[in-house]
Amino acid sequence: MAKGNEKKHRKSVSYAKWAYIFITPFFITYILFTLIPQFLTVYNSFFENYRNGLEQVGPNFVGLGNYIRLLTPDKSGTIDFLRYLGNSLAMWIAGAVPQFLIALLLAVLFTSTRLNLKGQGLAKTIIYMPNLIMASAFSMLVFSLFSNVGPVNKFLIEAGILKEYYNFFATKISVRTIIAAMNFIMWFGNTTIVLMAGIMGIDQSLFESANLDGADSVHVFFDITLPLLMPILSYALITSMIGGIQMFDVPQVISNGKGTPNMTSTTAIMMLNNYLGISKNYGMSGALSVLLFIITGILGMFVYRSLAKQYKD
Amino acid sequence: MKKLLSILLVMLMVFTLVGCAKKEEAPAEEEGEGKVFHIYAWNEEFKGFFEKYYTVPEGIEVVWTIVPNEGTQYQDALDLALMNQDSAEADEKVDMFLAEADYILKYTNSPYTQDIKALGVTDFSNTYTYTVEAASDADGVVKGVSFQCCPAGMIYRRSIAEDVLGTSDPDEVQALVSDWTKFDEVAAKCAEKGYYMTSSYAEDYRVFSNNTSSPWVDANNNLQIDPAIQTWMDQAEAYVNNGYTLTSGVWDAQTTEQAAKDGKTFCFFGPAWYYNFCMGPAFGDDAKAAGTDTIGDWALVEGPQAFFWGGTWLLAATGSDNPTMVADVMNAFINNEEVCENLIKNEAQFTNNQKINNKYAEDPDFGNAYLGGQNDTAVFAKGAKNIKFQNQTIYDQGCNESIQTYFVEYLQGNVTKEEALSNFYKALKEKYPAINVPEA
Amino acid sequence: MNNTNKKARISLIISRILAYGFVIFLCFMCLFCFILLILMASKSNSQMQGAFNFRWGGHFMENLSNAWNDFSINIPVGMVNSFIVAMSSSLLTTYFSALTAYGVHVYNFKLKNFIFTFIMAIMMIPSQVSAVGFIQLAYKFGLTNKLWLLIIPSIAAPVVFFYMKQYLESVLPLEMVEAARIDGSNEFRIFNEIVLPIMKPAVAVQMIFSFVSSWNNFFMPALLLTKEKYKTVPIMIANLRSADYSKFDQGKVFMFILLAILPVMVVYTILSKSIIKGVTSGSVKG
Repeated sequence: MAKGNEKKHRKSVSYAKWAYIFITPFFITYILFTLIPQFLTVYNSFFENYRNGLEQVGPNFVGLGNYIRLLTPDKSGTIDFLRYLGNSLAMWIAGAVPQFLIALLLAVLFTSTRLNLKGQGLAKTIIYMPNLIMASAFSMLVFSLFSNVGPVNKFLIEAGILKEYYNFFATKISVRTIIAAMNFIMWFGNTTIVLMAGIMGIDQSLFESANLDGADSVHVFFDITLPLLMPILSYALITSMIGGIQMFDVPQVISNGKGTPNMTSTTAIMMLNNYLGISKNYGMSGALSVLLFIITGILGMFVYRSLAKQYKD
Repeated sequence: MKKLLSILLVMLMVFTLVGCAKKEEAPAEEEGEGKVFHIYAWNEEFKGFFEKYYTVPEGIEVVWTIVPNEGTQYQDALDLALMNQDSAEADEKVDMFLAEADYILKYTNSPYTQDIKALGVTDFSNTYTYTVEAASDADGVVKGVSFQCCPAGMIYRRSIAEDVLGTSDPDEVQALVSDWTKFDEVAAKCAEKGYYMTSSYAEDYRVFSNNTSSPWVDANNNLQIDPAIQTWMDQAEAYVNNGYTLTSGVWDAQTTEQAAKDGKTFCFFGPAWYYNFCMGPAFGDDAKAAGTDTIGDWALVEGPQAFFWGGTWLLAATGSDNPTMVADVMNAFINNEEVCENLIKNEAQFTNNQKINNKYAEDPDFGNAYLGGQNDTAVFAKGAKNIKFQNQTIYDQGCNESIQTYFVEYLQGNVTKEEALSNFYKALKEKYPAINVPEA
Repeated sequence: MNNTNKKARISLIISRILAYGFVIFLCFMCLFCFILLILMASKSNSQMQGAFNFRWGGHFMENLSNAWNDFSINIPVGMVNSFIVAMSSSLLTTYFSALTAYGVHVYNFKLKNFIFTFIMAIMMIPSQVSAVGFIQLAYKFGLTNKLWLLIIPSIAAPVVFFYMKQYLESVLPLEMVEAARIDGSNEFRIFNEIVLPIMKPAVAVQMIFSFVSSWNNFFMPALLLTKEKYKTVPIMIANLRSADYSKFDQGKVFMFILLAILPVMVVYTILSKSIIKGVTSGSVKG
C-alpha cells in the first residue's frame, strides 16, 4: 500500500514536469506581451496621466479618483459609463438572441441523421462567410447602402414607398437595428459551426439508443443534445458576450466614432477609444478597463454558473 | 569668379551654421546628411506636388508615412514618432511633417519642431503674414512654412443666381450678400423658388468660427462658446426650420451631390482646394463622363465675411538628419517661382507667394474653367490680405468637429438643445481632460 | 403500422422541405452582401452616382487593374504582409493553445486549478487594454515595423485555450492517454501523434478564427506599422477612405474591399473541407 502510493506519487511528479513544459511557452509569451502591458494599465488607473497637446501631465497619484469620476452621475443623474455599457448590451442582446436560436436550430438540422440534409458543406461555407469580412469594411458597405443618397433610399423612393429619403442613421431604433442585424449576420454562422463541432463530439450511441427508445426529436434535443452541448454552448455564449461588451468596430464606423444619435450607439470601448485618442489619457482609460474587466468577469461567471447548474441537476 | 567665390562663401556659412545647429542634436554625423528623407503626412495631396515639382537631391530616398487624419490617427502616429525621435535610427527620424491650422499650435509650441531660420529659410517677404504667424511659437520663432494659402470665399451657382437674383455677375451678387442680413434675404428668395441656400447646416461654419472674438478655451482652461459660434447656431437652426438648408454634414455625399447638375443649392463656402476636394460631382472626371458636371456654372465672391479654411504647413522636426534638404524643400515651395507657378497653373492652388499670385491675379487671360473663366486668383488675392490667425488653441480640431456633430442632432429633432450641448461638452472632456467644461 | 410509417414519411418530407427552405433563406441572406459587393465592384464611379440597380456594371476588370496597380496603395504588398502575419499567427495560436490546454487538462499538478482560473479571468480583459501598454513598450524598445511583433504574441491566446480545453473535456478520454503511455510513447509524441489528430476539428475551427481575426486586425498594426512595405491590408483599406475626393473612385474602393476579403475566403474554403471531414468522420470517440 505504502509502496504503491509512493510509486503513484513519483509518477505524478514526473508527469507534472510535462505539464509545466507544455504550458511554459504560453505563459512566457503571455507575461511578456500581455500581462506586463496590462499591469501598466492597472497601475495607470490610480494616476492622473494624460497628454495636453504634446505636454505630459502627471503621472500624479490620485488614488481612486479616476474611478470616482467615472461613476459619478451627471446633472441628469445618468452615469455615462453604465449608459454606454447598457448600449453595448442592448445591441448585443438584440443580435445574440436570433444568433443563438438560429445557430442552435441550424446545428441540430445539420447534424440530424433523420433529416440527412444534402449540400451541407456548401451551406456551412456560405453562412460562415460574413464572418470573414473585415468589420470595418462591412460597416462601410452597409453605411453606403443605407446612407441618404445610397441605393436603399433610392430604391425605396423609386418604388414609391418613401416620399423623400429616410435618414437611417439619425434614429436610435434604426441605428441599433442595423448594428444588431450586422452582428447577427456576421456571427450566426460562426456560432453554428462551433455548436456543430460540439454536437458531433457527443457520443453518437446516445442518440441511437434514444431513437430506439422512440424519443422524439424535441425530447432528444432537450434531454441529450442540450445538456451535453453545455460546455461548448456556454463557451460560445460567454465569448459572444465578451465580444458584445467589447463591441467597437461596427458602431465606430457606422456612427463615425460619434455614437449618434444622442450617444445611443456609443459603446464602452468607444469611450475607451476616446480616452486613448488624442490625450492618451492612461489614467481614465486604465480605470475604465479595470471596471470593464470586473463587470465582464462577473457576468461571465454568472452565465457560466447558471447554465452549468441548470443542466447538472 | 567673384560670383563663384561669394556663392562658395555663402555655402560655407550655411554649412557651418547647419553644422553648429546639428552638433547640439546629433554630433555623430557632420559631413554627409542622412540618406533617407522622412515625411509624415495625412493624405496624398502634398506628395503629389512634391513628386511632380521638387527635384530630390541625388542619393536621397524620400520615405512617406501617410496616416489618415480620420479621428486623431495622424496625430497619434506623428506624436509617437516625434517622441521617439531621439532613440530612432538616423534613417528612421522624421525630417519634416505636415500639419493643419486646427492643430498646428500643438507642434509649433513644442520642442519637437525647430527654428527654420537657423536651417536657412529666411526669406518670408513674399509669403502671407498669417501663414508665418501660424507657424511661429509663442516667442515668434518660425518653425515651418505653408505651401498654400487658403483664403476662402463663397462659390455660387450662376444659373441659380440668374433665376433668383436676376444676375450672375460676381460684383452684383457680392453686393447682394455682403453681410449676413442680406445673405438671409437671398436665402429667403432662394427658398421661394425652391432652391436651398446652402446644402449643409455647417456649410458656412468656418466663416463664423474664423471670425470669433475669443478662443475656444480661455487662459484658465475654461471652455467658452464665442458669440460668433452662437450666431452660427441660431442661423443653422433658422435655416433648417425655414428649409433653407439640409441637415447633412459638410463632407457628406448628400451635400456634395448638390453641386451636380440636378443639385438645387445656391452656394458653397471654401478655398481653392475646395473645388478639387469637395466638388467632385460638379467637376470630377466621372461627372464629365456621365454628363452630370456643372463646369462653368460657378463663380466666386468674397461673401458676407472674409475667412480662411485649412492650409497645409510643412514643419521642421527637431532631430532631423537632413536639415539642408528640409530648408531646401521649404524654400522651393514658398520662394521658387517656377514651383509656385506650376501650382497655380496646373493644380488650381493659391500659393503662399504673393508675387506669383498677384501676377496671375492681374493677368486678364488667366481664369478658371470651373468658374466660367473667372479669375479666382484675383478674388483670393484680395481676401488673403485680410486673413488673421487669431484666437487659436490646441483644441480647435476637436471643438470645431464636435460642435457640428452634436448640434446637428438638435437640428434633426433628436435631442433638446441642452442635450446637444451636454453631449458636446462630454465629448470634449473625454478628448481633452485638461479643459473645464460647464457641468453637463 | 403501415399508416404510421406513411405519416412518419410525410412528416419527414415536410420537415425536410422546411429545413431546406430555412437554410436556403439564410444562405441567400449571407450571399446577398457578397453579391452586392461584387456588383458594386463591377460598376464605374459614375454608374454608382445615378439610381441604384442590380445590373452588372461591366467595369470589373478595369476596377481590378486600377486597384491592383494603384500607385499609392500597394495592395499586393499588403496582401503578402497580411498573409505572413495571419498564417503564422494562426499556426502558433492553435498549436500552443492546444498544447497548453492539453497540459492543463491531462496532468495533475499543484497550480492546475490556479492556472485554469487565471486564464479564465484574463480572458475577460478587453484586448484593447493590453494593446495600449504593448504599443507604449514597443515604441520604447524601438520595435515598430517588425512583423514578428504581431506574430509572436499570438502564442498566448486565452480564448483559444479555453475552447481547446472545453473541447478536450468533451472528446478526450484519459484512458487513451494512459494506454499510449503504457505503449511507451513519450508525452510530446502522445500530444503530437494521438491528441492533436483527435483535436483536428477544433484546430481547424480555431485556425480559421485566428486567421480571420489576424487578417482583419487593424488597431495594433495601424500603430506599429508605419512603413509602406510592411503595411497590412486593413491599414491600406483605412487609408483609402481618407484619400482625396478626386481620387475617390467608388468602384475601386469596392474592389479593394473585395480584394481584402478574398484571400480569407480562399483559405477558409480550403480549411472548411477539413473541418467538415473532421467532424463527420466521427473519429472523436474510439
